[in-house]
Amino acid sequence: MIKEYEHIHFLLNKYWNCETSLEEEKKLQDFFSQEDIPEDLQPYIPLFRDYKESQHSIRLDDDFEKKLKAAIHQKEKAKQYITIRIFAPVLKIAASIAIIVSLGVGIYFLVNENRKPYFAETYNDPKAALKDATYALEKLSEALRKGEEASKETFDKLKNLNINWAAIDSMGRDMEQEMEIEIEMEIEVEGDTDVDIDRDRETHVNQNL
Amino acid sequence: MRKVVFIFLFLFTTSPLAGGDFITEFLNTCVEAKRPVSNVNIGRPMLEKMASNTNDEELKKIFQNLSSIRIITTENKKDAHFYFKKANELIADKFSDYQEVVSVNDRNTKINILMKSKDNKNQDIIFIGLDEDDKLTIINITGKIDFHAISKLSDSLNKEINGEENPSEEEKAKISKQQE
Repeated sequence: MIKEYEHIHFLLNKYWNCETSLEEEKKLQDFFSQEDIPEDLQPYIPLFRDYKESQHSIRLDDDFEKKLKAAIHQKEKAKQYITIRIFAPVLKIAASIAIIVSLGVGIYFLVNENRKPYFAETYNDPKAALKDATYALEKLSEALRKGEEASKETFDKLKNLNINWAAIDSMGRDMEQEMEIEIEMEIEVEGDTDVDIDRDRETHVNQNL
Repeated sequence: MRKVVFIFLFLFTTSPLAGGDFITEFLNTCVEAKRPVSNVNIGRPMLEKMASNTNDEELKKIFQNLSSIRIITTENKKDAHFYFKKANELIADKFSDYQEVVSVNDRNTKINILMKSKDNKNQDIIFIGLDEDDKLTIINITGKIDFHAISKLSDSLNKEINGEENPSEEEKAKISKQQE
């Protein structure tokens, strides 16, 4: 017994010098978990008994495994995404073009929408508006009739001139035919002059020879 | 790169902003504060109401097909001549894609009618008229415009206007009944 105490003291000294092995520490824990501990060693009971109890009490949660698996899965998932380097120059240009195009298209449609006749109505009462609407239509109607009348008058004047349209038509046809003949003649003449030039060249070459 | 971006931005933003309907453009660019004009705007909702109010079938059809009627008038002789010139300059400058339909240049009256047709239902007509009393009238009508029907309108319009001012015996009887 005394030897055991001496051994415990020895182990304690080793423990304080941080030189104990796991086995020696276990021995100390076993010793202090006994009931009969000498008085001089009693202050160390909480140290070794509590330590042993706490070791027994450390247990994993039931859902620890689940949490661990979820954490691992999440990490794997994160690895699947390809990180895009937004500041790469090509992407930078593409992004700016996309922004400009979308801006332009947006503004175009916005302005086109605004281009549609939008204005404040002058009247709230249709009867009051009718007077101005009829005025506008009357003006337009009058102008259209004036235009029609003017073209009719011109037509009548031409009719009254007793122009022989048939003769004019035939004249026109004759002139067209003459023009065609002239063009053909010109083409032929040009062809002949080209031939003459070629002949001249040939004779000139022969003379040189 | 920055320059290219700015050029793109400029082109995209400025090109659609250029232009608008003739009356708006005229009011914005030609009308001066010291030379006031009268402006009347009749939009589609009002035209629909007018169509439902009238009994004349021709007029009803015309109103139903139109999208808007906008009118500018001035009775001041000097201003009328000034704005007539300005309106024609504006046409030549910014509305050169409009085709001339009628052009009357009498000693007393000057009328120009121009038209642009996007499709059958979207036509835009500009009327610029300076009459014998030196009154300037600029009219901008949009929608489906039936020239044939409009040119034959005068009788219906007279009836409509006279009808409003002098109701017939039947209408008088109706009105008195309603009042009772």
